[in-house]
Amino acid sequence: MEPLRFIDKPLTWGHAGLMVLMAVAVLAVVILFVTYAIYFERKVIGWMQFRKGPNRTGPLGLLQTVADVSKLLLKEDTIPAKADRGLFILAPALAFIPSFAVLAFIPYSQHLQFADLNVGFLYYIALSGVTTIAIVIGGWASNNKYALLGGMRSAAQMISYEVPLVISVVGCVMLAGSLNLRDIVEAQSGYFWHWNFLPQIVGFAVFVVAAISELNRTPFDLPEAESELVAGYHVEYSGFRFAFFMLSEYVYVYAIACLTTILFLGGWHAPIPQLDFIPGLIWFVLKFAFVVFCLFWIRATFPRLRVDQLMGLAWKVLLPLSILNIFITAACIELFGMGG
Amino acid sequence: MSFNIDWTGEFIAFFALAVCAIVGAVMALNFTKVVHMALSLAFTFVSLAGLYVVLDAEFVAFVQVLLYVGAVTILMIFGIMMTKHQDEGQEAARPLLETLAAIGCLCLLAILIFAIRDADFPDPAGSLPADTTREIGKLLFARMAIPFELVSVLLTVAFIGAVALAKREEEPK
Repeated sequence: MEPLRFIDKPLTWGHAGLMVLMAVAVLAVVILFVTYAIYFERKVIGWMQFRKGPNRTGPLGLLQTVADVSKLLLKEDTIPAKADRGLFILAPALAFIPSFAVLAFIPYSQHLQFADLNVGFLYYIALSGVTTIAIVIGGWASNNKYALLGGMRSAAQMISYEVPLVISVVGCVMLAGSLNLRDIVEAQSGYFWHWNFLPQIVGFAVFVVAAISELNRTPFDLPEAESELVAGYHVEYSGFRFAFFMLSEYVYVYAIACLTTILFLGGWHAPIPQLDFIPGLIWFVLKFAFVVFCLFWIRATFPRLRVDQLMGLAWKVLLPLSILNIFITAACIELFGMGG
Repeated sequence: MSFNIDWTGEFIAFFALAVCAIVGAVMALNFTKVVHMALSLAFTFVSLAGLYVVLDAEFVAFVQVLLYVGAVTILMIFGIMMTKHQDEGQEAARPLLETLAAIGCLCLLAILIFAIRDADFPDPAGSLPADTTREIGKLLFARMAIPFELVSVLLTVAFIGAVALAKREEEPK
């Protein structure tokens, strides 16, 4: 499927309908992912803590998330009396829209991609910044000090970790000679030791740490540290507005898992070329599922960082490491002719 | 004046984004709360980024979102939230000033319309390269290397200045 170009052609109802249909299809996939990601997260964490996890609603508890979401949607929608009403309503939507928009550029396999952008990774970073605004605004509009503190922490953390996140990817971009995600995947073809996670092991480590922090997940979930902040920026939210914040958080999990797969785990390539007869999409989904599992694993087993350690880690450890990684990569490309 | 326009996707996208940019700017002027103003400004920034995408300048567009929406707006919101705003509200109307401003705006609009109608837009020399981001990189690091380095020196100076200022405030303890 060629990336569809509508921009120069007259916009007919057919084209517009096709665009809407594609967006709805992605939305359906994402909602399905989020539903079962939450289920598996609870199952995996339960398994690691010698519990059973959800197992009552539906066969094997498969309908637990559906039940939870319907509960959220039926809940009373409260808006605090002293809240800034307009912004309080706007914030959840503003958090979700960019999280969904970042999914447009992900190449799932050689032929399945919605927008072939030559800026690639920059698109993700740019849009995820908008969600940061939404979190700050949500915290501020709630007119609650815990929400405001959570929002502030979240913004400070997301901005600080964005820097090493971007710089850690530069190594991959240098090896591929392009910002385009499809080219980056193509540059990793061959055996699994050609995938970027081995040649770019420092970049990979920095990327994973910074990505988990961008997602506001344990061990970096300070914005919602319940023991310090009650709940964080969404303490005043309930019902479907709260659901929207949670949804965008899980959509970002989806996006980051896709990006890790593409940038460091070879995208749709098989581990050894002999296994190429299995379609690329299946390899992509397998790697994607592995990354998501690791995120749950980390959540189940790590303690939370302290707020002063958090900033120190970003600026004093991750940033120098990622810059060092760029220098080493450049030296390797110059001296040993690695990459393209 | 003729309006025989092709209703291409490009035209519709341009029209929608232009309206969004103007609406954001007007809202930024009309709101009374500073946080609302900062947000509508962010809305204008996003619409402008959309216009850059329509013009095939993806790199500029997403850098615009990254810097203006991601960084500048959050900085503004931080600054606004950390300060008190008790005296927000309607200012007294100043009819004379407002009339003069309106006349000035109309004159500016007239001048702009005349200038745009008289201008002839030459066809761009040669087509755009397929990978505009790569071309920007090549230009920055080859032909424009010296201005680029000068800008980075300027940024470093500003950075050190900011650190020095922050340090000085800490001392009197």
